[in-house]
Amino acid sequence: MQKAIRIIAVCVAIGFLAALLIFNATKPVDYTPWEMAMTKGDKENAKHHFIMYTDIFCPYCDKFSNALRANAEEFQKTYLEDNNVFFEIRITDINYTYGHSNNSRPAGEGAYCAAAQDKFWEYYDTMLDKLYKDYHSRGIGVSKDSEHIPDLPAGYFTDVAEKGGLDMDKFNSCMDNDEMIEKLDANTNRAATALQTGVPYFIFDKYKTSGFLGEWDAEGYDWEQAKIMLDAGLASKR
Amino acid sequence: MGKRKVKKPLSKRFRDIGEYLYDRTRYALVTIHELLSRPKYLACFFVTLLIFLFVLNFFKDGDGNWQLICSGLPLERKFVVLGRVCISVFTSLATWYGLSILLMSTLQALVIILLIFAWRHRQKDSVLDGASTGGIGAIFGFIALGCPSCGVGLLTPILTTLAGAGAMAMAETISGIFTILAFLLLFFTVIRLGYINFVTISSEKATKPKKEEKDAKSH
Repeated sequence: MQKAIRIIAVCVAIGFLAALLIFNATKPVDYTPWEMAMTKGDKENAKHHFIMYTDIFCPYCDKFSNALRANAEEFQKTYLEDNNVFFEIRITDINYTYGHSNNSRPAGEGAYCAAAQDKFWEYYDTMLDKLYKDYHSRGIGVSKDSEHIPDLPAGYFTDVAEKGGLDMDKFNSCMDNDEMIEKLDANTNRAATALQTGVPYFIFDKYKTSGFLGEWDAEGYDWEQAKIMLDAGLASKR
Repeated sequence: MGKRKVKKPLSKRFRDIGEYLYDRTRYALVTIHELLSRPKYLACFFVTLLIFLFVLNFFKDGDGNWQLICSGLPLERKFVVLGRVCISVFTSLATWYGLSILLMSTLQALVIILLIFAWRHRQKDSVLDGASTGGIGAIFGFIALGCPSCGVGLLTPILTTLAGAGAMAMAETISGIFTILAFLLLFFTVIRLGYINFVTISSEKATKPKKEEKDAKSH
């Protein structure tokens, strides 16, 4: 009897895993952009819509973004222009919500404040450069097992905004009054409910995947890995 | 009047369990040594080990590689993905994570050869028992792999499907518990099957000389 129960338990577990794969594969996607300032490409004429769910303090997300930034010319030409890709970043503070990093919240809030000035990419690029220089290049905050990035002061984020050329009066007022907190919370909840997994999460047309395998080698291995994923997106049909 | 049961002190009970485990482990190790000295079982062990290493490395970062294989990428790019997994089997050994995958694969490969031996010697009950416990251990190990908070791992979607998005906060802890459970289940399956097979091997060895004696006498 016990043996029969065990065998049934194994069969149920395997069946459950299979059902989960099928269930996850058929989740509907909302393609309406969250923030137009967080997009690249021509939405009206785009053949493909690629979405990346991210958290600025998620190292694997930053690896992917760094690979794209280090090869910006090729990405622009091959994907955004030649293949008419509309690329969207969806910022969340999922790592704050689930207790992995307190920095995710101000960084995410700053991203939405920058987007309100239509300067998201300036803020995002400066932030990733600074994070790489200060921490990631020294092996800090590069994985779940590495030394964690300490809780950063508010000045760290205003410094990024200033270097990114944002209007500092507007940015400070936005951050001080928590003007974007509700939007950030709402979007994080939307992402958590829709994805049911952590970030990074990629929806490249019909190709959906979570996680990014990288080695902090933005121009070599990471770019090759990113290209395989982008090409898988191009090869899939929405 | 029935006999009054005398409760053993806790320290004695722990000592008994320790001695029992030590004995069983010793017998299991003798069995494993015996089986691995037979070329067929040795080959089977290595093939199974490589298969498990490949599968666990393939899924160690969630379903990322699986999605690439299922995507519309041309065949040669899919082979690149598989090639990278093959390389990562060896390169990942430089990390603790890679070593834990190696240990889990080794235990799974040992379970397989012990099961084959038991099956070939008509230990049907032991095979069913070992296969189900080992199978549950393997499933635990399989879904506990990866980094749930990084979006890589098969556990997070299962948890969130069952308990909602809020369950993601617990994913890391549960992943750790599942990994420990997987190791324990596989370890105890190896010990249990190892002991059962030890008895079979011992009785085989004991009957062999008698048989030879009988044969010699009849000649």
